[in-house]
Amino acid sequence: MSVSEFLKGLPCHNEQNFSLFNTENGIRTSLKRPSVYLPTEDLPSEQIIVTEKKNILLRYLHQQWDKKINAPKRRDNSEVGGDASNRKRPRLERETN
Amino acid sequence: MAYLYGVTAQKPTAVTACATGNFTSENDLNLIVAKNSQIDLYLVSPEGLRPLKEVNIYGQIAVMKHFRPADSNKDLIFILTARYNAMILEFKMIRDEINIITKAHGNVADQVGKPSESGIIAVIDPKARVIGMSLYVGVFTIIPLDKDTSELKATSLRMDEHSIYDVEFLHGCANPTIIVIHKDTDGRHVKTHEINLRDKEFTKIAWKQDNVETEATMLIPVPTPLGGAIVVGRESIVYHDGIVYTAVAPSIFKQSTINCYARVDSKGLRYLLGNMYGQLFMLLLITEENPKGVLTVKELEVELLGEISTPECITYLDNGVLFIGSRHGDSQLVKLTKIKNENGSYVIPMETFTNLGPILDLCVVDLDRQGQGQIITCSGSYKEGSLRIIRIGIGIQEHACIDLPGIKGMWSLKVGIDDTPFENTLVLAFVGHTRILTLTGEEVEETEIQGFLNDQQTFYCGNVEYDQIIQVTPLTARLVKCSTRQLVSEWKPPGDKRIGVVGCNPSQLVCASACDLYYIEIEDGKLVERNHKALEYEVACLDITPLDENKSKSDLVVVGLWTDISAVIITLPDLETMYTEKLGGEIIPRSILMTTFEGINYLLCALGDGSMFYFNLNKTDGSLTDKKKVTLGTQPTILKTFKSFSTTNVFACSDRPTVIYSSNHKLVFSNVNLKEVNHMCSLNAEAYPDSLALATKNSVILGTIDEIQKLHIRTVPLGEGPRRIAYQESSQTFAVSTFRTDIQDKSGLVPARPSASTQTQNITMSANTLPKPGAGTSGSNSEIGQEVETNNLLIIDQNTFEVLHAHQFMQNEYVVSLMSAKLGDDPQTYYVVSTALVYFDEAEPKIGRIIIFHYLDGKLIQIAETKIDGSCHSLVEFNGKVLAGINSFVRLYEWTSEKELRMECNIQNNITALYLKAKGDFILVGDLMRSITLLQHKQMEGVFVEIARDCDPKWMRAVEILDDDTFLGSENCCNLFVCQKDSAATADEERQLLPEVARFHLGDIVNVFRHGSLVMQNVGERTTPTQGCVLYGTVYGAIGIVTQIPQDFYEFLHSLEERLTHTIKSVGKIEHSFWRSYHSGQKTEPCEGFIDGDLIECFLDLSREKMRETVEGLEMSVNGVKQEATVDDVIKIVEDLTRIH
Repeated sequence: MSVSEFLKGLPCHNEQNFSLFNTENGIRTSLKRPSVYLPTEDLPSEQIIVTEKKNILLRYLHQQWDKKINAPKRRDNSEVGGDASNRKRPRLERETN
Repeated sequence: MAYLYGVTAQKPTAVTACATGNFTSENDLNLIVAKNSQIDLYLVSPEGLRPLKEVNIYGQIAVMKHFRPADSNKDLIFILTARYNAMILEFKMIRDEINIITKAHGNVADQVGKPSESGIIAVIDPKARVIGMSLYVGVFTIIPLDKDTSELKATSLRMDEHSIYDVEFLHGCANPTIIVIHKDTDGRHVKTHEINLRDKEFTKIAWKQDNVETEATMLIPVPTPLGGAIVVGRESIVYHDGIVYTAVAPSIFKQSTINCYARVDSKGLRYLLGNMYGQLFMLLLITEENPKGVLTVKELEVELLGEISTPECITYLDNGVLFIGSRHGDSQLVKLTKIKNENGSYVIPMETFTNLGPILDLCVVDLDRQGQGQIITCSGSYKEGSLRIIRIGIGIQEHACIDLPGIKGMWSLKVGIDDTPFENTLVLAFVGHTRILTLTGEEVEETEIQGFLNDQQTFYCGNVEYDQIIQVTPLTARLVKCSTRQLVSEWKPPGDKRIGVVGCNPSQLVCASACDLYYIEIEDGKLVERNHKALEYEVACLDITPLDENKSKSDLVVVGLWTDISAVIITLPDLETMYTEKLGGEIIPRSILMTTFEGINYLLCALGDGSMFYFNLNKTDGSLTDKKKVTLGTQPTILKTFKSFSTTNVFACSDRPTVIYSSNHKLVFSNVNLKEVNHMCSLNAEAYPDSLALATKNSVILGTIDEIQKLHIRTVPLGEGPRRIAYQESSQTFAVSTFRTDIQDKSGLVPARPSASTQTQNITMSANTLPKPGAGTSGSNSEIGQEVETNNLLIIDQNTFEVLHAHQFMQNEYVVSLMSAKLGDDPQTYYVVSTALVYFDEAEPKIGRIIIFHYLDGKLIQIAETKIDGSCHSLVEFNGKVLAGINSFVRLYEWTSEKELRMECNIQNNITALYLKAKGDFILVGDLMRSITLLQHKQMEGVFVEIARDCDPKWMRAVEILDDDTFLGSENCCNLFVCQKDSAATADEERQLLPEVARFHLGDIVNVFRHGSLVMQNVGERTTPTQGCVLYGTVYGAIGIVTQIPQDFYEFLHSLEERLTHTIKSVGKIEHSFWRSYHSGQKTEPCEGFIDGDLIECFLDLSREKMRETVEGLEMSVNGVKQEATVDDVIKIVEDLTRIH
């Protein structure tokens, strides 16, 4: 495939863009500097980003703990799930190691 | 204690990130560009990129990404700073003004985490459900983007993969799924992780691929319907989606690794790839439908499109136009074309955006002897290497230039056009004749005015009252009717004397012939001599400019006299002497002028040696007060008034053209960026409105003048990376050390591309004299095709910047340091160059040279060389000797009468002595990791003694001596600090310490400090008590100033700074005190002793109302008495501060 095939149909947002760009005088060197943004009004922020204070290991253990607490409950609700308890047991043991 | 004021003269220019999106409104296409701690917002328009806003962030931008929330038609920006401040920003138009809303903000730093070795990475899920960040080893931090909570919780997930190279979110996944490139002992692998946002954990690995491309560094996620990702390796690219695996290894990739990409179309079939060689490629995914009717990738194709600036980031704008962000060279706007141009390229450069970074070295010189420094920087790397000549001044925008040598005077006229305010004629005086140019539109042609004398030199010419023109020649004053162009009246001095000097205004004329002064009034159709007086001495210059702008008559004539060298104020029409001021000295006044600046009357009197006196002039009694003297040039100066932006200015024509104006009732002298102006006049022609005509030695320039002084940057491209620069006045040259990339060929090394060192006429080479220790011959045993860095020393002409000579060093020999010095009793000035033989299997260079070169009569001659047992990182001229920092040693060499370097003394108390500065007998040493040490050289004993050291570990980048006791340092974590010697301390231990007395987080790494100033020194009045001036250059291409200030001024500015932090709200809500606090891996301490001049200068851009609020209750001390500062007081002080750069 030729390169010009590659360059066919380049995306266009607004075909006017860059249409009046003057390249006759060679490459332009931009000197324009926009005005500096100086906000003096306090615009409140909607959301605050906070970090999880809990230690990553503690959080993991808590998650496992929750699962342990929740797991028997589910078993209580559905007595049939004998298999499930078998599946869980070895994992729990592994965790406590 | 030390009190410092730091301010940026040139904001950072290196581009670190860019993005295209709809930021200001759903219909606007915008480009955002991150430059270290600054964001530039542009609008894409038919005319090109229109700058909208410059936004300062209180942090270095580590990541800038844009995303579009599911329910939005506008894009938002996510920024993560180097100090882990995260923010989500929205650009919003409120009452036609761009506002930036910080939608979310917070700090995501972890107290205990070990920073990830591949740096900060942050990515955003394509459906904007979650932000993912790789910040610390072994964890992946996510911020789920819940809309309905007031808190966004950043949670760390444990990640087994430790060495992460890149992370991306995959498209088209039911749950957010990341893909990572990671490394273990077996190689590099690609792995995906699905994230459970509810439980905040990784759930499963959808697919993975062990041992992907060698040196895989970059991932490109592919949008739906294809999905999957492209993995970019060193020499190959692979597409992978868990099922399909398609690779391509184009031979054109061999040269350099791809380091950035841009997606072209939203479907994700085309991508632009850029590499460190500045090559731009296009990658195309060729698809097919598989038997199930699902679109899959069949193959990958890559084509080279052409050359661009070494890219850091690329973004596709619109209609085939790309923005190339660069940190090694200038950024660019380029257009892709379907037709190959003559260079075989499909890329057309449209616009360049100047970048000074990385500034590795700089020197400050006064090349044109204009009393102000210019900075010459070593900027850019590899093919983008260049020298940049930076000077401050008022620029002239040249619109037309006419070749006409020998102009002795110039005036603009309105001839025969009554109904316009424009002028159409220029009168030019030459020795013995006069020429008249008429301006018709942009065309200029020669003409004649009948009533004029053309075979005489014109002394004055101008439009005067009653629609007449006056021409004064040595013989006569001639009055010409404008409408008929005929002579209507003529005045001659009695007794056929010749007119010597003239002063004229629209209704009055004063001529002087030797000691005789004649006063003539201009009436309708006639010149009437009203008075005559013989003065004591001959008249050298005179002026009758009316002090009241609205009047056409002056009550005074001011005269400069020969012999007694005086300025005399004389009344009109009586010609009574009111006041005589003896100027003193023996240089005669050459130009005298009355003018009014900001309601104050001044008398300016320029002398034949380029100096100028100025006085306050009392109109009523003619008395002169407040005599002051400045040096404007070295040649006779001619003063002319002109109006620019409706204020009065004076143009001083000389070898250092200067514009004189007033600000806050003080005269300001600004250099004009032209080499020499002999004469000038203002010109307001239809095609050249509000312009100036400036006569230089050989031409007339028609142009406009900038409103304010600013930095002007000129580029001298080298095509190879400059590292060190030194200036030598005696030979009028610069020496620049550079390195270029050569490629090992069958026949030897071949330069990769033509550059400064390959294109000069004179090339010499160092012979292989230093074998690698223990390795037999030095290694020209490189494989074919291997890249080798070749170091050169270039000698460059100071005026033309032409490379006069290139000296090539041995293979593996790197130029480390460079200086120009006069040594011992030797009358010659030498270039001293230090080198090191660098082998990659050695931890530290073990061998190097110090070489003494002499550049004379176009030849570079090696005078001496000495072998050294390491790398000499720094050279300083030290009382006629060579001071060198060689590995862990600081060593002094003397220059013997046999022209040899002989070691005099030596001290070893460093890890690596990287930076040296000297003052008197004292030596400041900057260590690789042990901060700074002060040494003293005891001349009698011939030894070095350690005086004091800073015991706090710091990885140094540059050092400077501010004064005998105060030392400035820049270190690797973007901080500046000042240590001070306490000579008065009573205890020995205290005296041996260099306690840190000031510290500041600059947010950029300073590579070089130099004493010097960009503005004219000792010119005009200044109220700011700054002491000394150190310029610095940074990695991101910023240039700044550090200066010392007294304590009371510091306290005043500190109080203003504190108030400004409340007035000016921070984008991203990072506290100013957090941003400027000293921060390194070891410690974080509040900023102290430094004033943030960038924030102080923001005061001038505030509305009057906000200024008032800010200064309310602010106290300043006036003559030792505290009093409340007014807005105008503060404006004055801050404006004065802006004038130091």
